[in-house]
Amino acid sequence: MLKDYVLATSVAEALEVLKTYDGKARVIAGGTDVLLDLNAGKLSVDCLVDVTRVAELKKLENMAGQIVIGAAVTHSEVKKSDLIQSNAPLLADASGSVGSLQIRNTATVVGNVLNAQPAADAAVALVALGAEVEIQDPSGTTYRPVQELYAGVGKTTIDCTRQVVTAVKFPALKPGQGSSFVRLAQRGALALPMLNVAVVLSLQEEKIEWVRIVMAPVAPQPLRASMAEKVLQGQVVTTELISSAAKAACAESSPRDSAIRGSAEYRKEVLEVIVRRALEKALAAAQ
Amino acid sequence: MKKDYAVVGKSVRKLDAMEKALGTATYTTDIRLPGMLYGKVLRSPHPHAKIVKIDTHKAEALPGVMAVATHLNTSKVKFNTSATSTFTIPPLQPVEDQYIFDSVVRYVGDEVAAVAAVSKSVAEAALKLIEVEYQLLPAVYDPIEGMQKGAPEIHHCEVGKNIPGEKIHIEMGDVEKGFAEADYVFEHTFKLPVQKQAQLETQAAVAQVAVDGKVTVWSTTQTPHPTRRILATIFSLPYSKVRVLNPPYIGGGFGVRIGLSAKAEPIALALAMLAKKPVKVVYDRKEDFTSSDTRHSGYITVKTGVKKDGIFTSRKISATLNTGAYCSWGAELPGVLGAMGLSLYYCPNQMYDGHSVYTNITPAGAMRGFGSPQAIYAVESQMDIIADELGFDPIEIRRKNIMRPGKDWVLPYPCLSSGLEECMDRGAAEIDWQRRGKPTQQHSTKRRGIGMAAGTHVSNSWPFCVDYSNAYVTVQQDGSIHLASGVPDMGTGTITTLSQMAAEVMGVALDQVGITIADTESTPFEIGSHASRTCYASGTAVVAAAEDAKKQILEDAAKTLNTSPEDLYIADGIVYSLSNAELNIPLSKVAVEAHLRGKQFIGVGRIIPKNAPPYLAHFAKVEVDIETGKVTVLKMVAAHDVGKAINPVIVEGQLEGGLAMGLGYAISEEIKFDGKGTPLNDGFHKYMLPTAVDIPELKAIIVEANDPSGPFGAKGVGETGLIATAAAISNAVYDALGIRFFEIPLTEERVYKALKERK
Amino acid sequence: MQKKVLQFKLNGESLAVLVSPADTLVDVLRDQLGLTGTKKGCGKGECGACTVIMNGKSVNSCIIPALQVMDAEIETIEGIGKPEKLHPLQESFIDLGAIQCGFCTPGMIMSAKALLDINLSPTTADIKEAIAGNICRCTGYTKIEEAVLAAADKMKIKEDR
Repeated sequence: MLKDYVLATSVAEALEVLKTYDGKARVIAGGTDVLLDLNAGKLSVDCLVDVTRVAELKKLENMAGQIVIGAAVTHSEVKKSDLIQSNAPLLADASGSVGSLQIRNTATVVGNVLNAQPAADAAVALVALGAEVEIQDPSGTTYRPVQELYAGVGKTTIDCTRQVVTAVKFPALKPGQGSSFVRLAQRGALALPMLNVAVVLSLQEEKIEWVRIVMAPVAPQPLRASMAEKVLQGQVVTTELISSAAKAACAESSPRDSAIRGSAEYRKEVLEVIVRRALEKALAAAQ
Repeated sequence: MKKDYAVVGKSVRKLDAMEKALGTATYTTDIRLPGMLYGKVLRSPHPHAKIVKIDTHKAEALPGVMAVATHLNTSKVKFNTSATSTFTIPPLQPVEDQYIFDSVVRYVGDEVAAVAAVSKSVAEAALKLIEVEYQLLPAVYDPIEGMQKGAPEIHHCEVGKNIPGEKIHIEMGDVEKGFAEADYVFEHTFKLPVQKQAQLETQAAVAQVAVDGKVTVWSTTQTPHPTRRILATIFSLPYSKVRVLNPPYIGGGFGVRIGLSAKAEPIALALAMLAKKPVKVVYDRKEDFTSSDTRHSGYITVKTGVKKDGIFTSRKISATLNTGAYCSWGAELPGVLGAMGLSLYYCPNQMYDGHSVYTNITPAGAMRGFGSPQAIYAVESQMDIIADELGFDPIEIRRKNIMRPGKDWVLPYPCLSSGLEECMDRGAAEIDWQRRGKPTQQHSTKRRGIGMAAGTHVSNSWPFCVDYSNAYVTVQQDGSIHLASGVPDMGTGTITTLSQMAAEVMGVALDQVGITIADTESTPFEIGSHASRTCYASGTAVVAAAEDAKKQILEDAAKTLNTSPEDLYIADGIVYSLSNAELNIPLSKVAVEAHLRGKQFIGVGRIIPKNAPPYLAHFAKVEVDIETGKVTVLKMVAAHDVGKAINPVIVEGQLEGGLAMGLGYAISEEIKFDGKGTPLNDGFHKYMLPTAVDIPELKAIIVEANDPSGPFGAKGVGETGLIATAAAISNAVYDALGIRFFEIPLTEERVYKALKERK
Repeated sequence: MQKKVLQFKLNGESLAVLVSPADTLVDVLRDQLGLTGTKKGCGKGECGACTVIMNGKSVNSCIIPALQVMDAEIETIEGIGKPEKLHPLQESFIDLGAIQCGFCTPGMIMSAKALLDINLSPTTADIKEAIAGNICRCTGYTKIEEAVLAAADKMKIKEDR
């Protein structure tokens, strides 16, 4: 039963409260999902530790080529940010397609990761960006790749009752690098994606130096299309190459049947189209 | 003769808009009474089960719980949540198939028990303490399976397994002879989805029982008077001791509360009687989705005989509809579906057979269009096929066959007006019809297409149901007018439109009209807001009441002015003489002088409406992504013959809103059920109704083929905006892809699969 | 459940109310403060009927923890206009037929206001984005978008003077 709500003013204070409650308190930022889960009885805690007022978590900056997004930064702030639009445009697109403006004005990018839903738009983009989160707990500060934070659908490996994720960071895109975020949904707002794909790639002359392709929801978490990436790596870009990469990506996916958002068969087949479009768009951006 | 009106035909500000814009308008969900308790409902997790045991002791013991209601301590009078018990015309009998709580549950979401407590959270906690033991029963979800011998019996029915009420049969001419005369015979079967009204205010009621037993219920009902009848019957009370009213606003309706607001009213009242305190019951959004009426899904077959020249010789329509676990409007709706499906076109030989079937899903009832969107989707999809096969332009083949005034049809009222041709011509011009059939963007992954469909509907519910209206117009001592009508305003502009009509007849300014609506205690019996009838039928009653009051005024004024009543008329609140421009007297003076003589002018309007066909033509421009199957509607045009637009902006609003709902019906909206009868699309996030970004340019065109039976020539409008939308979009997708669809919605996956199969 | 004092600015006035940690902003507004202009259509952030402006941004008050509002500025439909001095948005919504059942109207107007507060020259796309989280089942959104554009024009003319 929820007994207290603390508006922390520093990470240290948040950690202190978590310690006092010894597993019975939980960190929230926008709280858009946590509150619903609490009311639905899916979650039970004694105390919520709100970190939206922690000044250091509001940061959104370029630190020596690393883009750092604090845990209190909302999707709207990311979407509108010049820094993000020029250094990671796919994330601006991904955050911009979450729910609705009202949701984006409160929900945070870090929260999107910690919610651990397989198709969370910003998280899909962050995995493609090779992002990692900064975690603080009583033992100090550690970093972990976003990709490693998943412990199943809706489950994160972060213990939000003892740890505070303070930021997510990733390398800024450089000249010659391009990105894209392509999404297929049943309507233009307030809809989870049937499919979403994020691509970040680097071109060296005519060849693809490296590429990260992330697809969802085709696995319990955002899925790297490693085979497809291998198909592309070091190769000169041709239409045929993109097409075979898209096919390879498709073969790696294992979407589930959703009575609401499309059968596994449909999603698997159309994934090829979405991956192809995402690659084409990222290449165009890189060139 | 074209008359110039002072108030009618003008887009005056809606009278309710100010309060709504300021946030001061009161809705049922806003009501709070002293000592009021909050009611919450326990619902069945099973599609079909017998309640073997129900133990409420723990719930009752929870501090703050004031009453727990189950089938063991509530009324055993059967009813129908829809207003059919008031509306069904003998020899048809109303189907009354449910109790407030029953010992059998028939769908996932069916009512099991309810709790009244001092707060919502205590009530919710108490629900979890109610222990129910179920014995599961076999269930069925498809209407065709529901009729089979081996299907579980959901209710006992006389005419066939799980078939509520009667089977509807309509016939004219000799269809077999007609098919024999035809050069071509087309037969197609179409499948329709479950659509949800998804009005913004969920079902809600607040019930209060006075110490003398008088009952007051504020609720979201579209029909206060028929709702009072249902409640009085359930609780064995004289009608005169039950007051049902809107407070006065309703957050939308679209048919979902013609009669009770699902079961919000009887549950609130049962709890209020047990707890002896006022009780408020507000459905949450999930309950609204799972446990209040939907549109009927089902199957429609259309068989049409056509001559080489495109003229129809015979048509036969049959429908098997899924009415879910309770009948609601399931006995009446098949009749409207058949009659409207047949009467859009003239055809000498016609026949319809249709009925509903009980299954173990959420009950289906009335939703905007009441059978017509289903019928017109099927008929107009086939019409496009016929045009294509015979090599006619879709508009031209329609022109050859459309119903025209003076011709015969299956309806007992005559067709006296039709603006359908004008609708088709003006709509075609607006959509750029000549571009249809032209290949576009062959090198792109997108294909564009244009399609159209025509449609018709009713202007009230007779002859399918009982339909009549009453209204009072009373002249106040200062010459201002008070109007009383029992019809609600769901947001459709009723109070404004009715006030405009009263002002026009009375010859007073609109700001001199006050209005009371939707209250059984201060208005005479009125069927309510449904069947596109408020403007046409309630409006006719208001006009009759105003004419009656005016007649009394003119007779009185004639004596004062030493002339005859026929020589007098009222304009701008002044009684003038036709023959002598100098002779006049202000209405206020007539009224106050009458008052001094102990007299008030009270006009009474008592009318049984005739009926009139509104006509419409919808045009769609679409773009299809052939790699994903995604259909995007680029533009919709809706040209509507509304008879006469009493308030054009209100009419446009009805049409645009209808189009948006029809667009959802065509491409994205559907409630699906899992294999165990659990609805999957039970909230706005999962139910794909359009948001602002999904709506293209909507163009409403008003055509006015004045109908002599309607007030100022008006016909029904409220439901018509979505009647042909799905067919128009489906036909446009055919133009884009060359693929016919026999099922909606045209989701990405459905279109993608069809494209793949064609390869 | 331990109640806490929530201090915030509501429609320009400072106030303090006792709330529980599990309370949401919409319940505080409607049930405690009697400001029923803010509607509750789903309770899950999926319809926008409860939209209010918090520190200049539109939010769904049904999923905002009440205590997150501490020291914040909240604007609701009750605070933006009076019968004798309507907000230009209210005026346009009334004049252009953008209101039908009215249940989405307060939230819709607040979403539109949050947009116009920072952008008096919105495109139709801007308006659609601002109100895409506000479901309206009556109007088809067309007249709402027209009303927002008209209000923006009015406000711009006023500002230019």
